[in-house]
Amino acid sequence: MSSVVPIRTDLTSAAAAVEPAIRVDGISLTYGAQGRVTNALENIDLTIAPGRFVVLVGPSGCGKSSLLMMMAGLRRPTAGTITCGGRAMTAPQPDVAGVVFQEASLYPWLTTQDNVEFPLALRGTPKAERRERARDKIALVGLAGFEDRYPHELSGGMKQRVSIARGLVQDPPILMLDEPFAALDEQTRMSMGNELLRIWEQTGKTVVFVTHSLSEATYLADEIIVMSARPGRIIDRITVDLPRPRTYAMMATPRFAELRERIWDQIKHPVGE
Amino acid sequence: MQAAAGRLILWAAGLALLFGAWQLTLSGGLLAPELLPPIGQVLATAWKLLGQHAFLMNVGVTAAEVAVAFAIGMPLGLLIGFAVAESDYWSRVLKPAIFLVFSIPKTIFLPMFILAFGITFTQKVSFGVFSTVFIVIISTFSALESVKSDYVTVARAYGATRRQIAWRIYLPAMAPILLEAARLAMIFNLTGLLLAEMYGARAGLGQLIASWGENFMLSELLAGILLTAAAAILFNEAVRWLERKCEHWRD
Repeated sequence: MSSVVPIRTDLTSAAAAVEPAIRVDGISLTYGAQGRVTNALENIDLTIAPGRFVVLVGPSGCGKSSLLMMMAGLRRPTAGTITCGGRAMTAPQPDVAGVVFQEASLYPWLTTQDNVEFPLALRGTPKAERRERARDKIALVGLAGFEDRYPHELSGGMKQRVSIARGLVQDPPILMLDEPFAALDEQTRMSMGNELLRIWEQTGKTVVFVTHSLSEATYLADEIIVMSARPGRIIDRITVDLPRPRTYAMMATPRFAELRERIWDQIKHPVGE
Repeated sequence: MQAAAGRLILWAAGLALLFGAWQLTLSGGLLAPELLPPIGQVLATAWKLLGQHAFLMNVGVTAAEVAVAFAIGMPLGLLIGFAVAESDYWSRVLKPAIFLVFSIPKTIFLPMFILAFGITFTQKVSFGVFSTVFIVIISTFSALESVKSDYVTVARAYGATRRQIAWRIYLPAMAPILLEAARLAMIFNLTGLLLAEMYGARAGLGQLIASWGENFMLSELLAGILLTAAAAILFNEAVRWLERKCEHWRD
């Protein structure tokens, strides 16, 4: 696809032998002041191997989005450290992790092309190279021909495709998505899930995906990290052994129901005493 | 392109309607010709005025006041708007006060400006700035509120510096509202300055118009009104054109 992919792949596979793609060490997050301190996350340890599709699920307010924002370097934990590709995520590292947000969060005054180029423009990449790389990623997400459209001319699903292209344009080894399809209708959501799986298989990125939908988690993931209600803790780590490529038919299988049930069992009761 | 043609037709129709009503009023005997000279005569006077050195000198005086007051009032309003909105404390303290002062008609302060500065260029400009600055401050508040926090978060995620966030996010996001602010500021500015000239001045368009009125020189008075209106409309439309270019993405 792109000429840049092989270079990145070399980098990650060289690192893979020794280093996980993401390492979360003893993360805690508290906020508020004296007397009214909220423990949002407590003592999170997590390693994610390169190339895995990992989904974080949990009840709303469990801090899964906060955890993702900390992995992306957009938020500082109260305690603990996070490294991605060996780099400390004390600030955003756009060449290590691309981020896709809940609402597509495109800039309404920029076209598809310019939105996807935006991260490259920030780093002063030459115009011609920028064009080329953005065009590649726009084609990858299936939006060739929509380069000159503005966000208000695109559907919700198309906006999220642009947002994914923007996340991939620097070819970071990791893609982080924060409930990216939550605002979409059920059908669009399903087909966007398939699209994301196709893109993931094509690029070999490490994906961290946050959702509160158990079916979405089961359908997409290699591994599901289940988090408890506040204070957020990791209460289970499930390997999804459904074969790939995933198909809609799998959602009707007993194994799918079983996996989904296992998550539900853990989060339906409030955890703790 | 088609929209532009449509606007042009509307404009022409409006003008035709105005001039038609004007001539009808005259021929129907609703107003004496001394009170409303024929349109042709007024247009001829306007053309003659545009060739007169003395008239152009007066226009120059007003134009200088308008330009200087705008060049001070607009950035000053932006600066105050940004500074106040930037701090939670000052927002809480000053925003209500600014909205209160905004509701007061600024014209009633004109005599105080004359007492403070005399009938001078400084008096005109400072009154123009005073008339302008509040609408700019308030527009700056709403322009800043229009920048979603998501825009900034995304930019940070992709490694934007503070300067890049200012130029690539804040500026384009706020441009439509700031242009609208410039347009409104100019209307307030012109209103304040022309009034100040009509109230007391040695030169300027406002002073001319006032004295033509006092001396019953209807042809000159109406020509002056037409020319001033045309200049104001021209500025307004030019900024609106820019606005439309900058806000095509808003719906």
